[in-house]
Amino acid sequence: MSRVSERGTILGNAVSKIKRVISVVLLFTMACSDARNEDPLSESEFSGFRVALLTSGPVSDAGWYGSAYEGIQLIEKTFGARISHQQTSTPAEFDEALRAYAVSGYRLIFAHGFEYQDAAIRVGEQFPEVTIIVSSGGRVSENVIPLIFELEEGSYIAGVVASRITKTGIVGMVGGVSTPPAEATFTGFEAGAKSVNPDVEVLVNWIGSWDDVAMAKEAAVTLIRRGVDVLIHNTDAASFGVFQAVREARDSGEEVWAMGMNRDQNDVVPEVILGSAVIRIPEAFLRLAKLWKEGKLPSGEAYYAGGQSGAADYVVNPSLAGKYKPELMAEIDSIRLGIIDGLIAVPRIDFLERVEGSF
Amino acid sequence: MFESFSIVVFLGTAIRLAVPLVIAALGESITERSGVLNIGIEGSIIAGALCASLAALEWSSIFLGMVFGAIGGGLVAMVFAVFVLGLNADQIIAGTATTMAGLGFTGAIYQARFAATGSVITLPVLRSFEIPYLGEVPILGPIFFQQSITVYFVYLLVPTLWYFLFRTSWGLELRSVGEDPAVAEESGISILFVRFLAIMFGGLLAGLAGAHLALDSGTFIENMSGGRGFIAIAIVVLGRWNPVSIAGAAIFFGAASALQFLFQSSGSDLPFPLFLMLPYLLTLIALSGWFGRTKAPRSLALPWPSKSR
Repeated sequence: MSRVSERGTILGNAVSKIKRVISVVLLFTMACSDARNEDPLSESEFSGFRVALLTSGPVSDAGWYGSAYEGIQLIEKTFGARISHQQTSTPAEFDEALRAYAVSGYRLIFAHGFEYQDAAIRVGEQFPEVTIIVSSGGRVSENVIPLIFELEEGSYIAGVVASRITKTGIVGMVGGVSTPPAEATFTGFEAGAKSVNPDVEVLVNWIGSWDDVAMAKEAAVTLIRRGVDVLIHNTDAASFGVFQAVREARDSGEEVWAMGMNRDQNDVVPEVILGSAVIRIPEAFLRLAKLWKEGKLPSGEAYYAGGQSGAADYVVNPSLAGKYKPELMAEIDSIRLGIIDGLIAVPRIDFLERVEGSF
Repeated sequence: MFESFSIVVFLGTAIRLAVPLVIAALGESITERSGVLNIGIEGSIIAGALCASLAALEWSSIFLGMVFGAIGGGLVAMVFAVFVLGLNADQIIAGTATTMAGLGFTGAIYQARFAATGSVITLPVLRSFEIPYLGEVPILGPIFFQQSITVYFVYLLVPTLWYFLFRTSWGLELRSVGEDPAVAEESGISILFVRFLAIMFGGLLAGLAGAHLALDSGTFIENMSGGRGFIAIAIVVLGRWNPVSIAGAAIFFGAASALQFLFQSSGSDLPFPLFLMLPYLLTLIALSGWFGRTKAPRSLALPWPSKSR
């Protein structure tokens, strides 16, 4: 009855966890030592390509944060970079964590989330030699580069699929915290759903947390009781609660489907997830690291990772492919191309703000 | 908007969201009745969730998951007890440390056991079942008597604890320790022993609350306790250390969340976070003593033996 699906080796991760703890301790020691008077970056001590990652949630979420961790692991493997990860728990730690990495020779820092944008601007000003990539960030400066995942493209296609699959004519979304990037994915989903059937009803429940699995489950139950039969989410680990609610509804004989988001979650609960709106975070990280290494990363502008580069897409769950009619499969392909060619306008929420002072 | 089906959905959701809160709050109320404020129960909840997950995964058994969840919560409470009773450490600081250590350790163990970047554990889940006859009562049946075993456990626990606290001599001893430990000691009660039992009981129930969280959602994730330990402490205040009103207060907190889901999914433009604020507002009012005298145990959170002696 119970099952564990694991990605990555257990031992390797335990070792890397210990390594991370040690590196955090070292970082704090370094951060506490007086680094203002002398340049701590004597090349012998801090040589080599160093890449750091900051997340404000656990990287064991099999989603948004986990993919970021895979991203820096990919950079480690490809370029032999030294990598480090730190989880910050309160906004008060954002500046300190960024500064600690900056003074320890990390020239490329991935701050994985909207919430880091202000701290990144402040620290970026102090350390012009450091490049900070802020995932879904909204503020740009010369060395602070927002990495905008155009997840709304995959969400738009998911909306089309949901609209074609639903029998009740009501589809739903369970959201974490209603930040602009999260709202954008739901706007895309709704636009996609209404593009094929203007009468389809789209309901939404925000739970106010990214990883409260119990709240997500009850939010999903409420939607299902309101007649929703295709349910997408934009949360982190809380998504398991949405899938669980759908699974239980199916066990009691209702025909309800779920959809994954952020990363390919099709194998999380393969029997209920129709498909996933994905962003390929590891590949986008790798591409950015490559550009940065070659000195080709454009400064002062956002980096967009969308369908054009294959970084955003909708992935059909192969084990439920039979639920898709051939016409729907063809429709998905043509919409995907339409988005790339700019023939289909996916609504976007523009939240970029340029910080002029630092140019 | 509020057709009967909505009321059933709404109250059913409120009760399910209240279950972990009420279990943890009932345990905490017993701890607080002995004069100990354990703000480390968040740590017990998350430890309970992890232990329940590991046990349920190992033996595919809900029951063993519950048992080990309670034990996990109890072990964390024991650490708190060692500091607070053994070393007479400040209760607030020891409780904060217990919460942070609990969240940190469970995350580390989980990542070491199940890969760092994502594994989904699928546990056996609590199933709701219908109580014969009672479950068939219209409206009330589906709300109260088509639930999971933990809900029925709460129905039994509330009157039992009330009887224990107010109708037995042990309950009287417990309360006297929380009110005036000096007098209680003179009448031959071991203050530290009573407080130890009260802390352990609170830890076991907090662990059980965590077990419910994991086994109801069918998985474990880091930080899944989501601050419920602290909400439980607020519920104890709102329920004024009385098991019956604590159950009511917990349902009120659950209802606030359920109501916001209902309003959002109705496409209402009302600012839904307002509903989430409501129970906390009432807790503040309860603390201010506006409805009746708040009856916090008089020696709550004070050290024993008192440091001035």
